[in-house]
Amino acid sequence: MSAVTSGGSGASPPGLGAAPRRRAPWLRAPAADAAGRRAIRRWPWQLVAGVAVLVVLAGLAIAAPLFGSPTHQDLIHGLGPTGLPVGPGPGYPLGADLLGRNELVRLVYGIRVSLIVAIVSNATSIVIGAAVGLFAGYFRGPVEQILMRFTDIGLALPYTLAGLVIAAVMSAGMTRVIVIITVLFWSYPARLVYGEVLRLRTRGFVEAGEAMGARGMAIVRRHLAPHVTSMMIAYSPLNAAAAVAFEATLSYLSAGINPPTASLGNMISDGQAAISYRPLLVVAPGLAIMVLTLAFLLVGEGIKAYNPDLRRLSWLGG
Amino acid sequence: MARGLIRRLVFGLIAIAGVIVLAFLLEFVVPGDPARAIAPRATSLQVLANIRAQLHLNQPLIVQFAGYFGNLLRGNLGTSYIQHQPVAAVIGPRLLTTGVLALAGVVAEVIIGGSLGILAALYSRVRALIGAVNLTLLAVPIFVLGLLLLLLFGFKLGIAPVSGGAGPAELVLPALTLGLIGAPWYAQIVADQMQESLASSYVRTAVSKGLPDSYILRRHVLRNVLSPAITMVGLDLGSYLSGVVTVEVVFVWPGIGLLAVNSLHNLDRPIVMGTVIVGAVAVVFFNLVADVLRMFVDPRTREEP
Repeated sequence: MSAVTSGGSGASPPGLGAAPRRRAPWLRAPAADAAGRRAIRRWPWQLVAGVAVLVVLAGLAIAAPLFGSPTHQDLIHGLGPTGLPVGPGPGYPLGADLLGRNELVRLVYGIRVSLIVAIVSNATSIVIGAAVGLFAGYFRGPVEQILMRFTDIGLALPYTLAGLVIAAVMSAGMTRVIVIITVLFWSYPARLVYGEVLRLRTRGFVEAGEAMGARGMAIVRRHLAPHVTSMMIAYSPLNAAAAVAFEATLSYLSAGINPPTASLGNMISDGQAAISYRPLLVVAPGLAIMVLTLAFLLVGEGIKAYNPDLRRLSWLGG
Repeated sequence: MARGLIRRLVFGLIAIAGVIVLAFLLEFVVPGDPARAIAPRATSLQVLANIRAQLHLNQPLIVQFAGYFGNLLRGNLGTSYIQHQPVAAVIGPRLLTTGVLALAGVVAEVIIGGSLGILAALYSRVRALIGAVNLTLLAVPIFVLGLLLLLLFGFKLGIAPVSGGAGPAELVLPALTLGLIGAPWYAQIVADQMQESLASSYVRTAVSKGLPDSYILRRHVLRNVLSPAITMVGLDLGSYLSGVVTVEVVFVWPGIGLLAVNSLHNLDRPIVMGTVIVGAVAVVFFNLVADVLRMFVDPRTREEP
């Protein structure tokens, strides 16, 4: 567009050629800029792949009731004449589990549980962590000392053991898993945000806000929180991936979601008894966990590739 | 330098104390009566009451905690309800077994991750492939990888023991599991750090002085990798020593993690408390050791507050 208006001199950068037509700033559409932005806006393949897989899995999870009941036992068709579960075949694409229940249906329900846990506990842990980091980083003093010492405790807790101890206090189910993951996962984002806020504090805009008499809460909300948000968006897929894995671990150790409710972790621990003759009962839920985790990790990598500023926040957490 | 260390030590002690308080509170609200877990079935109420009195279970929480903390300061972790032995005597040998696994796991992950990272930094052709391997390994939960390895080498190929135990043959698969799970972290750190050094001006100077490539790699590039790698080894040793619970459960490795899981099921409170405390101490201690080591290896970090 600018090539047409500026007439000739296509080699010169836009805006530097002949005087562009005067337009209100919001109506100006610098052509080369738009092209450049389109080049950046081309979505990284990791993001596309990760989101695609997540959409498919979410579709499966939403459609789960169409597959049948995850707890329906069919002793006639699900178990063979010897009492062992049938292998993959018509009606049972992944075979049956040791109790004659359809493994595929349970798998879909397990994915549903994993997705819900990942989404909810991800939100809770990151919101709590970010709030702690923001307040500790901005207000300093006793607030900082108390909040960050709690964060230290959170980081020093042996994860799996602490999860087991908390699990012993609560009754089995999704709430228990979400509470455990939130309690154990908030401290890391708190640490990340805290470090970032300490860095941001010295930047001009915070000092300018203070000089203009903004109250502390206003600075946290208007000036610090937006900066931290992009960082947390980049961190959340990694957090969700960890949550999926940890939910599976807890349920595997029967400290999360217990049978008969299907969860990928307790399906593995059930299937382990049959590992020598029907390894599919371990491999299928195992692969489902891997695909789900990988999809979240790919989204994380994609966000990182999309926004170069976030590259220093690698999946290593550094 | 010394002030920074003391500061970290104090913070570490505060964190340990916090973990102890938290664990004690949680233990206290765990439903279930330890007296019933200890006594055989159909014991009279009088006997149960005697057991509770003996264990001070009938006293208020604060008194119980004060008693426990006082004993702790004197180095006494209490007595196991089930095994009727001092907790330290029960945990000690288990900690040693876990230590063997933790050490083997760290060695495995340093070797696997380090070589992946060096390859990725030096040969741009394999970089994408190694990236894919890293991402895949990151996506596997540790117990799933353990079970898959057990399935492949134990049941399909029949070259690894499947019945559990703590011998050298039984060590291979759990250590490999830990190594593969930890490898991507090391690979990434090593590759990043090496690429940074390779593009730096001091390497350019070394090249222009005509130093041989191998000398530059050893002396200027790999030395820079040491500092972050030591930090990671410290973190890993600490967290592995607190019990690699899932690996120990999958491979029935009789370490501290398996002990904790079993004790939790048996309501053996002193043992659970002991393992949690040992775990927290291990995390804090090895972080501190890593900090000290890093200061020796990397003079730049001595200036840190």
